[in-house]
Amino acid sequence: MKLKVLPPTLRKNNRYLTVDIKVVESINKDELVTIIWDACIRFQGECNTSNFNLWVMRFYEMENTNEYYHYKAIVRCQRDFVEQVRSSFALANNYHNNRISMTVIGLSGTIKASQKFI
Amino acid sequence: MFFDLNIKGSGLENNIKLATEASKYGWSHINFSYNQNEFQNALNFKDELKSELNECISFDYTLEIKSTNINDIRKITNKFRSKASCISVVGGNLKVNRAVLENPKIDVLSRPYLQRYDSGLNHVLAREAFNNNVAVELVFHDVLKSYLSHRSKIISNFRDVYTLYRKFDFPLILSSRAHSIFDIKTTYDFIAFFSQTGLNKDEIEKSFLTSSGILDFNKKRKNMILKGVRRINDEA
Repeated sequence: MKLKVLPPTLRKNNRYLTVDIKVVESINKDELVTIIWDACIRFQGECNTSNFNLWVMRFYEMENTNEYYHYKAIVRCQRDFVEQVRSSFALANNYHNNRISMTVIGLSGTIKASQKFI
Repeated sequence: MFFDLNIKGSGLENNIKLATEASKYGWSHINFSYNQNEFQNALNFKDELKSELNECISFDYTLEIKSTNINDIRKITNKFRSKASCISVVGGNLKVNRAVLENPKIDVLSRPYLQRYDSGLNHVLAREAFNNNVAVELVFHDVLKSYLSHRSKIISNFRDVYTLYRKFDFPLILSSRAHSIFDIKTTYDFIAFFSQTGLNKDEIEKSFLTSSGILDFNKKRKNMILKGVRRINDEA
């Protein structure tokens, strides 16, 4: 049986971050989820990360260059923890001994609005 | 007004890539840093770089002196003072930290905590930095490239510097020291990181203003006769 949906006043407020990702080796969405969780847990710790309500909503492959594979993603996080999530993403620099760079290029309240940054 | 006074400079092509990426991520001015051996060589392709960038972002060069010999630092500073828009010295050695903060011809003491177990600053040095208007630079790249206990220690050193900064109000600047396009982050990510380490928004904004102030001050430096005395072009 499915749980009944919470009334709007009891729901968590979300923000959607558009993330620009550059990585030397190709990755898929599942790997991005691992990278994001690892980055947050490493910088903010397990207890703080539990507040973030992280979820990868969309994952886009962009045009690749000689130097790196380029992706963009829309990641959900809780409204009051945007700064913490941003800083954690900025500090991710390595995945399976390959260089990676993540930086947030857009922030919005809906997925639709965040798609304009793609 | 987002200023980054320390992006690691290299060849022409790499500089163009870095500058384009920085411009895309919201930076308004960057300084490519070169050490004393590479600086003269870098000046040779400055005009070409300027034409390639074509007002996409403003840029300049920082001379980054890396030496543990105080006399060398003084000589190199005097030699390049008129050519560089910003002169910074890599710290870490206590003697170097002190000599740099006592020299008003130097603009920036970069990373006083480098390869140390403490922040490399105390109340005496902080007061010297304030009196001589020498900025202390904290570098994002040091945190980015370290991990676990080492990263914690660097952030702890940052916090020690913040404590002294709040009491003595010496100039503080924040920079990325990006080596490649992987190290450049958006301005808001940069601010978010430093606010997580304990600086507030006003202090971060002030650090960008300090960076721009250093460049403005150095444009007028040749008119400075003595400390506090400047030659002006006043027709009246």
